[in-house]
Amino acid sequence: MLWGVRKYPIEIAGVRRELPVVQVGPEVSVALFNMLGDTEIVEAAAAELAKRLPEVDIFVTPEVKAVPLAHALSRITGKPYVVARKTEKPYMINPVARTVISITTGKPQLLVLDGTDVPLIRGRKVAIVDDVVSTGGTLKGLSDLMSDVGGDVSAVMAVFTEGSPREDVIALGHLPLFKPE
Amino acid sequence: MATYPVTVGKITRHVPVVETLPGVHIPLVELMGDVELVQAAAEGLVKHLPPETDTIVTLETSPIVLAHAMSALSGKPYIVVRRKRRPYMTDPIIQEVESLTLGVSETLWLDSRMAEKLLGQKVALVFDVVSSGGTMKALERVALKAGAQVVARLAAFHQGSSKLPLTSLSEIPILHTV
Repeated sequence: MLWGVRKYPIEIAGVRRELPVVQVGPEVSVALFNMLGDTEIVEAAAAELAKRLPEVDIFVTPEVKAVPLAHALSRITGKPYVVARKTEKPYMINPVARTVISITTGKPQLLVLDGTDVPLIRGRKVAIVDDVVSTGGTLKGLSDLMSDVGGDVSAVMAVFTEGSPREDVIALGHLPLFKPE
Repeated sequence: MATYPVTVGKITRHVPVVETLPGVHIPLVELMGDVELVQAAAEGLVKHLPPETDTIVTLETSPIVLAHAMSALSGKPYIVVRRKRRPYMTDPIIQEVESLTLGVSETLWLDSRMAEKLLGQKVALVFDVVSSGGTMKALERVALKAGAQVVARLAAFHQGSSKLPLTSLSEIPILHTV
């Protein structure tokens, strides 16, 4: 991954940031959005997404960058959230897992739900929450995981979509892909 | 499934008890997914945040929500030290955890661009559960390597006795099978 000097400005509900544009492949650079540790952005994004919340019962988020967003959304809306982990934990009871191929790393990535969380999802309207929806690989894996346990994915919410615009995602902004300098 | 009641502020949870070694049972607290428990812990811990604190430092994964909630309440920023090397990291700080448990070793990572933000800062370390204190000690070393000064060590729960000075809100016992 190569860091250039280019920056891409973004704004969420009046909060502005300049994202570094980094090269992630021979033909492509991306604006790197990492909101882990950026409380102001997370709270602003959660408040905005809460205003656009469709009728859902529960949020599901993949570990780890979007977890504070799901926490804040849950706190604001009063609806619970569940985290899909990247590894199976020894304490999980009857875990349910799906493997997705990460487009960025090309490696298989596990998504695991603790069996104790399954009753919260079965027969409920689920909103998947993530920071950035790009190729949709994680999204597909999470959607399949929700179907496996009988959840109804009613909405997908993200701070940004990236690459091709997606009508199926409730997002606060869009990040283009860049040609390397 | 055996459960054990743990309480923070006005929130009580009957958490599962897991056997970690033969005959040794430990109540397992999970902050992720539990907004009420996290908010209660954050409200309790921000009272112990020294006023001179510049930044909160935490470790992925479970305590991140606690650090976020403390940050939202206090207005102080937080930084997450990672348990795995991330592809975007350049010249990271690398710190081994000295673990008392045989066969388990871990490495902590902090990207240099994050580390730069800690130079000369007074930091508070934030954990969900501290038991032996080995991981907390490693996190402290990461902060020191980045040029920060540790002014507080805070945890929602502690378990057993750590030799490090620690402020925690609640104790989790180690239960032995009779």
